[in-house]
Amino acid sequence: MEYLKFTPELANDWKNALSSSEPYVFKRVMDSMNQSQLESKLWIIQELIKLGVKPKKVAILAGWFAQYIVPLLYDNFESVEWVENFEIDQDVKRLSYKFNKRLKEDKKYQIIIKNVMFDKIQSAQHAGYNGSMDTIINCACEHMYPMWKFRDLNKTVQKNSLYILQSSDDDQHDDHINCVQSEDELIDQARIKHVMYSGSKILSNKSTRFMVIGR
Amino acid sequence: MNNILCVNWGNKYGREYVEKLKQQCEENCSVPFNFYCLTDNPTEPYDIPIPTTWDSHENGKFWAYRKLYMFKESQLGITGKNFLYLDLDVIIHQDLKYFFELPMERPWIVRGWWNDIEVCKKNFSKFKSTPINSSIIRWNSNQLIEAYNHIEKNIDTIFFTYPTIDNYLNHFFYDMYGAKSLFNVFPVGDVYSWYKGNVFPDDMEAKKIRKECKVCLFNNSGETNDAEELKSLWNI
Repeated sequence: MEYLKFTPELANDWKNALSSSEPYVFKRVMDSMNQSQLESKLWIIQELIKLGVKPKKVAILAGWFAQYIVPLLYDNFESVEWVENFEIDQDVKRLSYKFNKRLKEDKKYQIIIKNVMFDKIQSAQHAGYNGSMDTIINCACEHMYPMWKFRDLNKTVQKNSLYILQSSDDDQHDDHINCVQSEDELIDQARIKHVMYSGSKILSNKSTRFMVIGR
Repeated sequence: MNNILCVNWGNKYGREYVEKLKQQCEENCSVPFNFYCLTDNPTEPYDIPIPTTWDSHENGKFWAYRKLYMFKESQLGITGKNFLYLDLDVIIHQDLKYFFELPMERPWIVRGWWNDIEVCKKNFSKFKSTPINSSIIRWNSNQLIEAYNHIEKNIDTIFFTYPTIDNYLNHFFYDMYGAKSLFNVFPVGDVYSWYKGNVFPDDMEAKKIRKECKVCLFNNSGETNDAEELKSLWNI
């Protein structure tokens, strides 16, 4: 998969999202849509396809506006039933729903304001459902405490989830509080025992991005 | 009983800053109070040795974490119900009685009204541009134990993640979008900043004394001589 399907429905949702963004949020929206952002999300899809993974219930941690990853998941995996984005930034919520309006209305996407390093995640999809997610994606590991803490916090519900983790060596930003220098460091931080994929990629912004897929 | 607290550690502020704050309180508080200083160098009767519980986690982040020991006031051996914390780098303009007469359904903290709230929102997830400021806090006993216990429970994550205690408090105990949260904030015009101004965007002149406000803060100067500059203004 080398591209995002720019369908008429997606075009309409994105136009409405971009035209309704408050001026002070707009730069963040643009940052979330740059070349490197799409490259890193396409990389996830490519590797999951190679591995034959069939995600069903997907949690995205710190997914920001999630305008790339959510349609990429639905367009490439018929198995996907539900995607839930756990974010700390309240400004993101309204716009993320605009970007993904067609999926929200189909009850396929939800965003929850939550700090995932302090509070457990639990899918809100169905009443009575135990809340487990079979796939957990975090493309923002450099922004937060090492992922072992999240795993420990959620060990009673998220028992055998597949983790797809990305981080960066780009330490020029104040909010990159947890950069790594290799995929092995990311594996160690998340205490991944069964590594299905690990690799690195130099993105268009010249930073090195690392990815690990495993349990 | 009313208690006024300050905290002094390290060597940025000498004893004269504590004494000056005490003097300012005595001159500007018309209700009875006890004055205490939590310090790593206790020498005076009003000094209380500052706890060291979290020192092993010190990593250059979570700036000024020592102030948060007072959130569990029972460990300080201070009796009484009413607490007012003041940073050492403040100038008091008006009667501190005001702070002891506030309604106390919730504790109070400074909202930096000089901040552009859109910048604060924009930078929330970047751990920058925090709208609240812990230079003055007013609480009743046990009102802040929730925050203290939250730190105890998540201490590694908090020291790793948050550059300052103000940033941390903003993330967990204040909602700049208006939802009810642990902290109430002092109204516009109560507290201003020497270096930042008073109210965004209309009253932002820096380095201007505003005696109609209650307290002036010397926060976030980015200047190396802020302690000396404060001293030069003690006798205004």
